[in-house]
Amino acid sequence: MTALAPARVGAGPAAAPPRRSRRETWTALAFLVPSLLGFVLFYFWPTLQGFWLSLTDYSFFADTSFVGLDNYRRMLGDETFWNALLVTVEYVALNIGFQTVLALGLAVLLHRLTQSVVIRGLVLLPYLVANVVVALLWFWMLDAQIGVVNQVLGALGVDAVAFFGSEDWAIPTVAFVNTWRHLGYTALLIFAGLQTIPRILYEAARVDGATEWQMFRRITLPMLRPVLALVLVVTMVGSFQVFDTVAVTTAGGPAEASNVIQYYIFDLAFQRLDYGYAAAVSVVLLVILAVIAFVQLRLARANESDLA
Amino acid sequence: MVHTDVTTAPPNPAPTTAPAATPTTLRFAPGRILAWAALIGVVAITLFPFYWMLRTALSNGTTLATGGSSLLPVDFTWGAFRRVLGLATTEEAQAEGGSGTSVEFWVYLRNSVVVATLITAGQVFFGALAAYAFARLRWPGRDAVFFLFLTALMVPPIFTQLPNFLLMRDLGILNTYSAVVLPFFFMTPFAIFFLRQFFLGISSEIEEAARLDGAGHVRTFFRIIVPMSWGPVITLALLQYVQAWNEYFWPLLVASEREVRTLTVALGVFRAQEPQGNPDWPGLMAATLIAAVPVLLLFLAFGRRIVDSIGFSGIK
Amino acid sequence: MRNRVPAVAAALVVALVACACGARGPSGGGYGDTGEITYWMWDSGQLPAYQQCANDFEATHPDIDVTIEQMGWDNYWGRLLTAFVSDAAPDVFVDHTSKYGDYVSRGLIEPLDGLVEESGIDLGQYVDGTARLWVGPDGRRYGLPKDFDAVGLFYNTEMAAAAGVTPAQMQELTWNPADGGTYEDVIARLTVDRNGVRGDEPGFDRNAVATYGIGLSDDLGAGAGQTQWSMYAAATGWSHTDRELWGTRFNYDDPRFQDTISWWRGLIEKGFMPPLEQTIGGSLSQQLQAGRYAMVTEGSWNINTFAQLGGISLATAPTPIGPSGERATMSNSLADSISTGSPNKGAAWEWVRYLASPECQSVVGQGGVVLPAIASEVPAAEARLAEHGYDITAFTRQVRDGTTVLYPVAENAADVDSVMKNAMERVMSFAADPSSLTEVNAEVNALFTSG
Repeated sequence: MTALAPARVGAGPAAAPPRRSRRETWTALAFLVPSLLGFVLFYFWPTLQGFWLSLTDYSFFADTSFVGLDNYRRMLGDETFWNALLVTVEYVALNIGFQTVLALGLAVLLHRLTQSVVIRGLVLLPYLVANVVVALLWFWMLDAQIGVVNQVLGALGVDAVAFFGSEDWAIPTVAFVNTWRHLGYTALLIFAGLQTIPRILYEAARVDGATEWQMFRRITLPMLRPVLALVLVVTMVGSFQVFDTVAVTTAGGPAEASNVIQYYIFDLAFQRLDYGYAAAVSVVLLVILAVIAFVQLRLARANESDLA
Repeated sequence: MVHTDVTTAPPNPAPTTAPAATPTTLRFAPGRILAWAALIGVVAITLFPFYWMLRTALSNGTTLATGGSSLLPVDFTWGAFRRVLGLATTEEAQAEGGSGTSVEFWVYLRNSVVVATLITAGQVFFGALAAYAFARLRWPGRDAVFFLFLTALMVPPIFTQLPNFLLMRDLGILNTYSAVVLPFFFMTPFAIFFLRQFFLGISSEIEEAARLDGAGHVRTFFRIIVPMSWGPVITLALLQYVQAWNEYFWPLLVASEREVRTLTVALGVFRAQEPQGNPDWPGLMAATLIAAVPVLLLFLAFGRRIVDSIGFSGIK
Repeated sequence: MRNRVPAVAAALVVALVACACGARGPSGGGYGDTGEITYWMWDSGQLPAYQQCANDFEATHPDIDVTIEQMGWDNYWGRLLTAFVSDAAPDVFVDHTSKYGDYVSRGLIEPLDGLVEESGIDLGQYVDGTARLWVGPDGRRYGLPKDFDAVGLFYNTEMAAAAGVTPAQMQELTWNPADGGTYEDVIARLTVDRNGVRGDEPGFDRNAVATYGIGLSDDLGAGAGQTQWSMYAAATGWSHTDRELWGTRFNYDDPRFQDTISWWRGLIEKGFMPPLEQTIGGSLSQQLQAGRYAMVTEGSWNINTFAQLGGISLATAPTPIGPSGERATMSNSLADSISTGSPNKGAAWEWVRYLASPECQSVVGQGGVVLPAIASEVPAAEARLAEHGYDITAFTRQVRDGTTVLYPVAENAADVDSVMKNAMERVMSFAADPSSLTEVNAEVNALFTSG
């Protein structure tokens, strides 16, 4: 694990004498105790078990035996797995594209245009509704035959679009629905970051005759880096784990066009009781996510802030 | 409700506490009109589904689909709200396409408030402690441990769900608040990650100054770091509160009994009670709207705090 | 020293995980005759009737408490699995024919043969076929039937009248996979495009259909096709597997099946049935209500739901007569199973026995949602369901005529369905030909040889 850690150490007090450093280690440990407890008990330990089970043919009730890397070997030739991975990547690309860019724009608008708490509250509204309900609502509004959206399109002379039903539209539609729910949320995260940028920087820039766009490029983006890194990592990890929306709408269909990887894992583990293999797929997903997150953090230089 | 504010929405007068925050930076210009148009567009797309929810909630379930895309409720009735709040009899409910089961609103509301408050308090407090250790203290292996914590974001639910359920069962706390709260209480990777990113941005000079005054880490944390990050902390608390409020699968698993059932679980159960695959749409929409109201009020109450905290970190 | 670390760590992990996993799986349970038993069911519509049964039962069995927990179908099987894994399964639960084979092979539910014999229960009292469905692949009985169902047609009476289709006509439809017979004639007649032109009239625009003659569910019924296509395929004389129950060779490669699917899919091309992609979203009943479908094939368990639809009036008809000269309808039955891990299997059996008795089944019949499995209780239930204004004999006559086929119970059901769901979606969305099902059939059959 150590080898994976970002080599660059960013902000924080400059190097201190050894004695204080040791005291700081103890302080850090004390500060970390509750989180450490939660981490080991509820995340680390179950994952360790899951990793072990990925090396077995565990299926809940039958006798379990150790199968080594068989499950991983099986994955190589499993077309459904590769399809699931592909579909998920497509979803992630669409979702991050929409969500992050739109949220950044929205946050800047909220920051530079208006102080209205009401508007800020309004854009967060979708996040207040449970995931499953949001999915159901859009599932119904986007129905090809009786959904309101298609009826409006029909009135405008546009042919009905099978948003959830067609292989081409299923994934973009799921991405849209999730973007609708999370846009305000993501915008608020970025907004919180915008607030930490000292106003004085903008005022100084304006005195120098900078345009809004220049201020965005030169001040907002660089100063926002730690928060943008957070948003990117969280959105990326979250989109890779998309499940609820698919489960209540397309159930992976049509013909696997929206069979995202978490849905495939769920199907393997809880419908077909093939837990050992499902665990192996989960381990692979975990590793992929960890690698991507690590790269993202490195690229975004998330440990540094131009403010400190 | 707040709908009317959208179309008129004049920029609010700046809070008196921070005169510098007046949005005078954008002068009246085509760009500004375009920006407002974009903002209004986003708000409109955000709000339309809510209108559709309201329209559906006020419709009669048995004739709903005959209404097509009519913008008005189909066969207007308060029935859905009445049966969600348990004010309608079984016969009345079934006559309008409901299942006859109601949501014991006030009990579930209490449960949701208790659970979400406990979870938020734990996450924000313990998360802030950990974030401080990761952002402001120097110790060997710090970044590696941080990254390890971060991987908790990526642990697939199928790994954690069963072991955690078994743990709750073995602790003998199934169907208690503790079981719902515990897995989220001590550590949630997002809270730590979020606060760490903000703590990173705080100027180290202030901290050094405090240290010269003889303040220890604990004092620095409570007197300087936390107050300076008040905006992010409130933001996090709000987001996590909503998150906890909307948590579904875990509470369903460990606390399905009535006494500890949360509003979201009740909503899910209500939805699943659909008679033979035909959802009680008006009931579901009414329940959803009602369930969102408490959180909405909370946001309106605390939203102002986020604005007020502007400018704090500018002092450096 | 250095290379010992991984070995020690590995040993530690193995030891820890082994003890953690010891908590899984059902225990052997016990045979307590008294105490509290939990009962799970998914249909909220039937909850009042079963609560009534529980109250009556508790009155005669004062030392047994029955707690009923109802949750929707969507949550039901997942929670049941979790409950089994954590040894917290309900003592008794409503079981489905498509699921119990998997529970039998994992030893999760209790065989009832000895108890049935001891109690002297007459298996002949149940509607034909229902009792047989609950004899597992090992030849032992795992449930006593509680109800039964069949599939039939629901059609919009006003649309039929406007099309000049009479109720008498609807009762005597014929069908074949070549030209669809009078059944397809009616479907074409009921189809109307946006200009008001009917499907059997010149100038019909199949790309702008206002009302489809027959509806299509987004659920294609996977390997069984229960309410979707089984009534056609079975009317050709085709059967799903080599044996009526617990077959190990599937017949999806049979030309009769593939011709049937070709015909069915052809309805989409002709514009008489909606494309699959347009069905994802709204339910059949919503589409019926919105006037998008003039007719659907559905199970008898939905009579109550359809009866509640406001704004339209529906009537029932039996499935059409096929090339075999007879109609066909798939019949299924639910039953109550006892968990192996239950500590009170004695009390659980008393409850199951009561559920399968005429006392409880008459209450269920009066509930007006399903047809009870005990033959002598059926007429009363028919009368009760007829109060909705529906002719229930559209479903029950096939039981009396002996034209039902049983739900195709098989081992590896979850895997078979998984494969077939996908394959049928491909065929019905025109991404693959019906002949592709030959290859799929080989894949399905391989599930039974690879062990």
